[in-house]
Amino acid sequence: MTGSQPIRWATTAELTIVTPEGVLFRLPLAGPASRLYAMLLDITIVLGTVNGVGLLVYWIFAKAPGFGVMVITLGEFAIGFAYGALLEGFWNGQTIGKRLFHLRVIDQAGLPLRIEQAWVRNLMRVFDALPFAYLVGGISALSNPLMQRFGDRVAGTLVVRQTPLVAPGEESWTRQKYNSFMDYPTIAMKLRRAATPELASLIQDALRRRTELAAYARREIYRELATYLQSEISPFPDELVEMLSDEQYLINAAGVLFGDQQLSRVHG
Amino acid sequence: MILDLERFQTQARPRWSNLESLLAALEGRPGHRLNPVEAEQLQELYAQAAADLNRVTHGALAPELRQYLERLVARAYTELHFVPPTRSELWQPRRWLRIFTLFPETFRRQSRYFALAVLITVLGCALGGLAVRYDPASVDVLLPADYLRNPEQRVHEEEQGKNQDLHSTQSEAAFSAQLIRHNIEVAMLAAALGVTFGIGTALLLFENGVLLGAVAVRYTQQGFGLFMTAWLLPHGVFEIPSILIAGQAGFYLARVLLRRREDRDARQSMREWLVLIAGMAMMLVWAGMMEAFFSQHHAPVLPYGFKVAVGGAELALLTVYLLLIGRRMTDAKAHTTVPSENK
Repeated sequence: MTGSQPIRWATTAELTIVTPEGVLFRLPLAGPASRLYAMLLDITIVLGTVNGVGLLVYWIFAKAPGFGVMVITLGEFAIGFAYGALLEGFWNGQTIGKRLFHLRVIDQAGLPLRIEQAWVRNLMRVFDALPFAYLVGGISALSNPLMQRFGDRVAGTLVVRQTPLVAPGEESWTRQKYNSFMDYPTIAMKLRRAATPELASLIQDALRRRTELAAYARREIYRELATYLQSEISPFPDELVEMLSDEQYLINAAGVLFGDQQLSRVHG
Repeated sequence: MILDLERFQTQARPRWSNLESLLAALEGRPGHRLNPVEAEQLQELYAQAAADLNRVTHGALAPELRQYLERLVARAYTELHFVPPTRSELWQPRRWLRIFTLFPETFRRQSRYFALAVLITVLGCALGGLAVRYDPASVDVLLPADYLRNPEQRVHEEEQGKNQDLHSTQSEAAFSAQLIRHNIEVAMLAAALGVTFGIGTALLLFENGVLLGAVAVRYTQQGFGLFMTAWLLPHGVFEIPSILIAGQAGFYLARVLLRRREDRDARQSMREWLVLIAGMAMMLVWAGMMEAFFSQHHAPVLPYGFKVAVGGAELALLTVYLLLIGRRMTDAKAHTTVPSENK
């Protein structure tokens, strides 16, 4: 580990790390809902395990039920704490619930969490769970830009989203043979200049999720996006727009936003 | 848009794939350190990916590509900057057994917080005791449970063996587990309440002290001082100090949080807190077993003198353990290293 510490800052959605070498990257923070679902799944797993083991213990200690109760009481208690601490400590910051919901606990400097951090954040659950249903921990997470419950604050950890990513391939709109918007380079350039990364990302997502959206929702979303672009960002001529469906309008707009060479060719 | 994304991706994709393959290989063997060739290769690919990320961030509207590169850079950053414990470090039994010496060493190193816990508990005891002694009306408030308010009936029942059905080994085992679990939960809460800058820890210790003082005075007033001593001492000599150690851990945590920015070794601080909790939990396991299997037996089955003597012997052993174990090792270290701030 290098001597200097990384710089970090956070919004409610992401943590930004600037490494000692000056490299900047962002990590998306996990929201309270996904953390809650993962926790509920983990609780189900723990209770299932404890009850399964309990039945086995009762069977083994059938003639000495007191010892059975002793083993179950202590086993349940130990598994409750050790489940999270051991899995997170030895399994890349993930419990089974976190893995299924694509969440991961990391050190707040962007590095993997250490075993002692895993123990600290899990032992602190006795406080975060107060007075019931993790109210203290929940309020702490919601009031903190890093979404940390008290256990995370003490351990110096946070939970990030870790959806599997692959290198983005070529998109269909970059392969368009003809894009009628390119015939209007001034307006197309205006669209490129005015479109924020968020808007571009929204258009990209809307087109990519075409098959996932219900027909009605797709029509509405495409209509709203196309209307917004046409009225607020880049007013292409009415005679052109009238011939296009909202979906084609967005495909053309994405072609303008993400297809570099074609526009430069028009300019050239 | 400045960057020709298509050409840029075509050119850069091979080096991203190389970095991905190298990272997959390294992540597949956790606990192993990088060899010099791998380190050099990783450093080079990391620098290139970081530069690519910079170009995409400032020169293109490509949120997905940016996300992908950020993930790649974050993974490479982890491999370069994080030194994981090796498997042999993790699975050495001797390393885990060190807890038995680490605990008393840590206890002594952070003894000022133990002293604070003792002080607050003693203040609580004094208040509880004085209230019961001089204000009989306070008894109902401080000792809501009937068996605490009216010890005579309880002592009579215990000595007559009316709770004999509870004294089978079976029920004692179940009872001990419940005690261990409950006590560890309460003690861990005291340690975790350090996050309230120690205020919660102090309140919990004080409340515990008030109850202890009130019970002690009430039983003594009614002439059951010996019964109570014999009843509480065999497990109390471990249970009460472990609650105090939980308080010590709570105050220590408060100090760590208050001085986090100046703390140069946060990992060590965290370990100290964990060691105190582990030691406290071990003590409570013993206390729970003693309470269930030994303390609940009264005269004539177990003479009170014998029970008090057992309690005294336990206390002496605990004192020796906490004050002396690991001392030679610590002294030797103190001669060879710079003394720590807390010494």
